[in-house]
Amino acid sequence: MGLPQPSGLAGRTVIVTGGSRGIGRAVVELLAHDGADVTFFYRDNAAAAQEVVAAAAAAGHAVTAKQLDIRDSAACAQAVERIADRGERIDLLVNNAGVIRDNPLAGFSDADVQDVLDTNVTGVFNMCRAVAPFMISQRGGKIVNISSVSGEKGGRGQTNYAASKGAINALTRALAVELAPRKITVNAVAPGVIDTEMSAPVREMAGDEVRARILLKRFGKPEDIAYAVWFLASDYANYVTGQVLTVDGGFKME
Amino acid sequence: MSTEITQDEIDAVFPTVSTTMADALGCDVEDIKPNVSLIEGLDAESIDFLDMVFRLERAFKIKIPRGKIVENARGTLTEAEFEQKGIVTDVGMAQLRSYLSEVPAERFKSPMKVAEIPRLFTPETFCKLVVQAQRDAKTAT
Repeated sequence: MGLPQPSGLAGRTVIVTGGSRGIGRAVVELLAHDGADVTFFYRDNAAAAQEVVAAAAAAGHAVTAKQLDIRDSAACAQAVERIADRGERIDLLVNNAGVIRDNPLAGFSDADVQDVLDTNVTGVFNMCRAVAPFMISQRGGKIVNISSVSGEKGGRGQTNYAASKGAINALTRALAVELAPRKITVNAVAPGVIDTEMSAPVREMAGDEVRARILLKRFGKPEDIAYAVWFLASDYANYVTGQVLTVDGGFKME
Repeated sequence: MSTEITQDEIDAVFPTVSTTMADALGCDVEDIKPNVSLIEGLDAESIDFLDMVFRLERAFKIKIPRGKIVENARGTLTEAEFEQKGIVTDVGMAQLRSYLSEVPAERFKSPMKVAEIPRLFTPETFCKLVVQAQRDAKTAT
């Protein structure tokens, strides 16, 4: 075995959902830094999205931002088709967009349940359905889903979120089986508690208690997850599929 | 009501359909005969059907909704008239034979499950699908 090869990401057509903040932004920046042609979708925060694009442009990287509600399957199909029209390929999809609405189950509103399942599960289905025909046709591609440690061991107040991420783990394994004949890999990264806006309520409410359960004694950083996504997206992971890679600093759940 | 699809219309799209199918199936274009069974003759699997439809949509700039072939084959029959508990009815079989006129008679076995209908499909079936989609697109504009 010789020296490590390039990751293979240079020039690849990449889609990241929920790329304007947190983990998504770190993923966008890392993949673009490695030479990928990245388009990311955002739902509401146009200002944050433009900031990511401007920062990438300043660094000389190719990043495009598009507004998209991934709960709308027709809009997903159309958005993906537009990207593919540029180069006839979709090489990588990173399903990162997700929402959290923690509450004890008995206190959930219908919207608390529906919003989480619609975005975290249906949104991933919509995006996978939109890119799969391109990847099947080109006989290759990679899908990386952002799951959560909650998908295996959910915490209090997280039944909706845990169920959504458990679904993503199951989808990841089943889709890997389905797409393997066309050399398409499907994997997931399951982050622990990461220092982002989305996890702020958890960290504020139970920060010390949570940190005490992390073997490495710190919360994760968005780039800790981005490196795992980069690995699964790269040619180094060509022989990895159907896996859920936990990146949680050694998080011990009760 | 749309008129029957003519042989000229089928011949017009066949070269592109056959090239597209050969690309999807990874076989030689010479292997794509109009009436060869895609599943039994060319080893097509369900993922290949998705790929073929996707490629045809892009090649001809048309939209082919999922399940469109069976819907077209059903014609004016209701779902209940066409099939009962997943088995194609007698009247459904007659309709199927008429729609898939390019398929040799001996390949229609009875009783036939709806799930087995794709076993009948040939490249010509897809040519008709493309022609119909082109007609639908013209009607819509």
